Amino acid sequence: MLVRLTICASLAASLSLAAASVAQAQGDANAGKAVYERKCLLCHGEKGDGNGAGAEHLAPRPRDFTKGLYKIRTTANKTPTDQDLFNVITHGMPGTSMPPWAVLPEKDRWNLVAYLKTFAPDAFKEAPKKLELPKEVSSSAESIKRGKEMFEAIECHKCHGTEGRADGPSRAELKDEWGHPIPPANLAKRWTFRGGASRTDVATRIAAGVLGTPMPAFLDAVEKPEDIWHLTNFIFSLGAESPHYTTLLTVTSVSGAIPDDPNADFWKKLTPNNVPLMGQVIVDPRNFNPAIDLVSVRAAYNDKEVAFHLTWDDPTESKGDGKQTFPDAIAMQFPAQLSAGTERPYFLMGDGSDAVYLMRWEQGKGAAEASANGPAKIGPLAGGEIGGTAVFVNGQYRLVIKRPLAAKGEGRPSFRPTVFTPVAFQAWDGGAGETGPKMSLTSWYYLRLEEPQSNRRFIIPPVVVILTLAAMILVVRTANRAR
Amino acid sequence: MRRTVTAATALALVAGAAMWFVTSVGAQGGGTIEADVKYNGPAQIEKLKVNKDTEKCGTETVIEKVVVGGNKGLANAVVSVPGAKGTTKAKAVLDQHGCKFVPHVVVMQPGELEIKNSDDILHNLHTYSTANPSINKAQPKFKKTMTEKLEKPEFVKVTCDVHSWMLGWVAVVPGLAGVTDKDGVTRIENVPAGKQKIEVWHETLGKQEKEVEVKAGQVTKVSFEMKGK
Repeated sequence: MLVRLTICASLAASLSLAAASVAQAQGDANAGKAVYERKCLLCHGEKGDGNGAGAEHLAPRPRDFTKGLYKIRTTANKTPTDQDLFNVITHGMPGTSMPPWAVLPEKDRWNLVAYLKTFAPDAFKEAPKKLELPKEVSSSAESIKRGKEMFEAIECHKCHGTEGRADGPSRAELKDEWGHPIPPANLAKRWTFRGGASRTDVATRIAAGVLGTPMPAFLDAVEKPEDIWHLTNFIFSLGAESPHYTTLLTVTSVSGAIPDDPNADFWKKLTPNNVPLMGQVIVDPRNFNPAIDLVSVRAAYNDKEVAFHLTWDDPTESKGDGKQTFPDAIAMQFPAQLSAGTERPYFLMGDGSDAVYLMRWEQGKGAAEASANGPAKIGPLAGGEIGGTAVFVNGQYRLVIKRPLAAKGEGRPSFRPTVFTPVAFQAWDGGAGETGPKMSLTSWYYLRLEEPQSNRRFIIPPVVVILTLAAMILVVRTANRAR
Repeated sequence: MRRTVTAATALALVAGAAMWFVTSVGAQGGGTIEADVKYNGPAQIEKLKVNKDTEKCGTETVIEKVVVGGNKGLANAVVSVPGAKGTTKAKAVLDQHGCKFVPHVVVMQPGELEIKNSDDILHNLHTYSTANPSINKAQPKFKKTMTEKLEKPEFVKVTCDVHSWMLGWVAVVPGLAGVTDKDGVTRIENVPAGKQKIEVWHETLGKQEKEVEVKAGQVTKVSFEMKGK
C-alpha cells in the first residue's frame, strides 16, 4: 500500500507542478541529512551554523541555519514557506557562492528543506503568513517617475546610492545579524539579486525586506501601497535585465576625431561590450571576493589612434591611504607582440618567456603604458604616447584611454583593422583593499577593429540593384522578341 | 438552563467586583521600592564622528554602553518587580530624535510600543529578539509614528542600520519596573506588600536579583552593586 502510494506520489510529482505540495509533505529530514552531508556541509557546516570549512573564504558567508532566519521569503512574518526554501536550493543565490541545485532530484531538494528546518525547530513553530502584495502596476514613464520620487522620499539612496549602484553613505557601516559586513544590492545589476529578478521577486523584497540584513520591510512605509510597484518599475529602469556578456569586442571605425570626454554623446552611441571579471586566485595574495565583476567596453578607432571607453562600478572613489586602501585602477592587457598563430602569453600578466603590454589607468596618476612578465614583474614602458581621462559619478567610473594605432617603440603591438587581437582586463577596487595581485581579471578575449569605413557601402548596393534591374529588363526584352 | 446562566453571570460579577476591591485595597496598601544601582567601574562611552545627515544628527555622537553618574550611580539599568503585576500608567514610547533612541532604555509591559520618528529623515527600526518576532521596518520621514507588538518578556536590542551608532533597548518586563536615572536611582510605587524579588538588568553589565520585604505605606530601599564583565 505504502509502496503504491509512493509510486503514485512520485508519478504525480513528475507530471505536474501542483504535485509539489505532495512531495513537500513527504520531505524526509533523515533522507535530507544524507544529501546535506554530501552537498551542503562543506560550506554550511555539520551543525548547520554556516561554519563549514569553506566559509572563511566566502562573502557573503554561508547561511547559519540555526537561527532560522532566511533572507528570501514570500511571507509577511519571519517564517519562510517550504516553497521559499525549495526555490533557493533550486535556483541558488545569484551573486553569492550558493549555486543552483536543480541538478539534484526534486525529492532530494524537498528532503533537504525538511532537514534544514530541523536546525531551528522553534523558528518554524509559527506558520508562514502569506505576504499580500498590492495590485500590480505595470511599468510606464509615469510609474517610473513616481517610483523615483518614492525612492528619494524613503531614502533608498542612503544604502543603495543615487543611481542604485550600492554606493550610499551608509554602505560601509552595514552589518548583518551575525555582525558581518554586508554590502547593499547594486540595483543596476538585477542579475545579482539574491532572491531572483522577476517583478514579483523585487516587489516582494521591497515589501517584506530581507531578513537578517539591514534591508527593512517597506510595505507599511510607503505613501500608498501601489508605490511598491512604482519602486519596482523604477528599479527596473536602472539597468538591463542581463549583462549579455560579449565574446568578441568590436572596435568601431570612425572618420572624425574621437572625444576624450567619457561623458560625450559619441560614446553613448556605441554598443557596449560587457566583460565579466573574476577574482585572481592563482598567486598570493588571492582575491576570493572581488569587488569589480564587470567592465563595459566601448571602442573606436580612426586613421591615427585607437580609443577604449571603459565603464565599471566601484562604490568608493579611492586614492588610497597606502595601508588599508589603495588607488583604484584598471588595465587592458595585450600580447607584447602579435603572433600569427593562436599562441598567447600567459593570461596572468605573462611569464618569463612571453611579455604582455598593459594600458593602465590609476586614480591620481592617470594613464601609463607598462610591460609585464608576470604579476610581480611589471615595469613602465617609456617612449610611447598614451592619454586617459576618467570621471567618477554615483559609484561608477568612466574612462577614455587612447594611444596611436601604430606602435611607437618596442614591447607594444600595433593595432590593425580586421586582425583578431587578444585582449584581457584587470581591475582593482582600491577602496576595498585591492592592490597588486589582489585584483579581479579576465582570461583572454579577442578584439577586432572593424573594416575601415568607406563610402563603398553606399555606392555598391545601388549599383548592384541597377545592374540586376538592367539584366532583368534585358532578359524580358529578349524573351519577348524571341516570341 | 437560563436560570443557571443568570446565576453564573451574577456570581461572576460579584466575584469580579470582589477581586477589584481586593486589588485596589492591595494597591493602596502597597509600598514603594527605591532602588539604588551602583557600579564601581569606568564609564564606557564611545565618541564618534558623524559623516551623514549632520543637519539632523549633529557632527558628533556617542554610544552609551555604560553611563556612570554622581556617587557611582549607574544610569539606564532596569529595575523590575516580576511579582508585582500592576498596570502601566502610560503607553510605552520610543522616539528617534537627533539620530538617537530616546529614551535609551524604554520599559514596557508586554503589549504595544509606539515608535516615533521626530527626525524628518529615514530610520529603520531593527530589533534583535528571540522571544518576540524580530522587526526590521523602515520608518521614512513621512511616517511619524508606528506601533509594534512585543508580547513576550525580553530585553530587546534596537538599532538603525542607516545610522549604525544608534543603539537602544526595549525592556519588556511582566511586572512593575523603572529605569535608573543619572544617579542610578529609580522608584517603583504601589508594590504589593510582602516578599518581593527585585531584578536589575543592564545592557552591558548583566543581571542581578535580590529579595526584599516590602511594607505597606513605606519606602523600602534596595541597593545593587553591578560587577564589570
